Amino acid sequence: MTQQAELARLRELFLSTPESDGTRLLAIAGSLLLSTAVLWLVRRRALREEYTPIWIAISGGLAILSLVPGLLKAITRMIGAWSVSSTLFFLGEVCLVVLCLSFAVRLSRTSVQLKTLGQEVAVLRAVLSEVEASAPASSSANRKHEAD
Amino acid sequence: MSVAANQDSSGVAAPKVLIIMPARNEAARIEPLVRELRERIPRSRILVVDDESSDDTSKVAAAAGATVARLPFNLGYGGALQTGYKFAIAQDFDFVVQMDADGQHRPADVPALLDRVMAGSCDLAVGSRFAKERTGNAREQESPYQMGTIRSIGRRMLCLFARLGGLRITDPTSGFQALNRRTLRLYASSWYPTDYPDVDVLLLAHRSGLRIAEEPVEMAPSPRPSMLHSGWMPVYYAYRMLLSLWAVSAAPRSKANEEDGRGHSTPPKKEN
Repeated sequence: MTQQAELARLRELFLSTPESDGTRLLAIAGSLLLSTAVLWLVRRRALREEYTPIWIAISGGLAILSLVPGLLKAITRMIGAWSVSSTLFFLGEVCLVVLCLSFAVRLSRTSVQLKTLGQEVAVLRAVLSEVEASAPASSSANRKHEAD
Repeated sequence: MSVAANQDSSGVAAPKVLIIMPARNEAARIEPLVRELRERIPRSRILVVDDESSDDTSKVAAAAGATVARLPFNLGYGGALQTGYKFAIAQDFDFVVQMDADGQHRPADVPALLDRVMAGSCDLAVGSRFAKERTGNAREQESPYQMGTIRSIGRRMLCLFARLGGLRITDPTSGFQALNRRTLRLYASSWYPTDYPDVDVLLLAHRSGLRIAEEPVEMAPSPRPSMLHSGWMPVYYAYRMLLSLWAVSAAPRSKANEEDGRGHSTPPKKEN
């Protein structure tokens, strides 16, 4: 029982460390940098608009965490972590998992589209070969001639 | 070049039959196969789906009188088969036979298989190495076909899966099938599992209200080593099959004729 109390006291001690202004500035700068990079990539047509919301949300979340005092600590208390940095790691990991899953979904959709496209090409090739074979000999000879 | 005759001598439109053979690097085997098919089922068209062969499969098949659909990249067995289904729909075929190009399936069995669907007693006829009688719920027999222990266990498990889904079959991995237009529409839809189409396809068809029957056939051992022989592949295969079966169970029941609307680019009908 006393050990429990001791642990709780230690955890409070951990969580009551003052927030560093340097870290806060770094986080704000990081969030600004991320959103700038996203917008710049969109402008350069290197990133499609449909992929931006998740990145804007991540940089927005980072900005809110660093701007609202005590928020990160409140979350840390809520999830039962001991230090603010583990909360950050945890949130970061959640974001990465969500991102990976959404990419896997998009990749699956794209590969289905690619498969369908490949099949269409093969069907069209087959139909074309039929048409060429049944067309009058002269026109197919002309085609061959042109191909040479 | 023999294109399937659309009319028989009496002037009545005969049903159009397409024989689909997915092929990958089969230049050495495909020519006699195509010729024999043309002899045995003269009023049919043969479509060889060339799944990105590195040899002359396309040329050889075309020279033997087959229509060739050459895929721009490798899609695997199921993807190649589905290409054939899409061609059949685009070209308005009434009946389709699918068989392997590696010589495992014999052209001699095609007419019997085809007759079953053409007679209208079933929507899908499956050539079975293990069926004894021509019935919908075939009983097993000792087959001369030799199967290794692992494959034999695998086959029994797949039969059990099918049984759980309410389907009695003896040869769940048979790729030797004849189908009518109802089945064709389902197979060309996006419900068709193109990764490893096996028992999941049969269950999909069964679930969609299609009538499945087995026809006893003989098969030669496949000249290629089966994927089920190598290392961890059986485990991965079982995993994929279970996943696919689960995915198939999401398909609507008994609505085989309304499958077209799943956002696919396949035109259900096309004038040609």
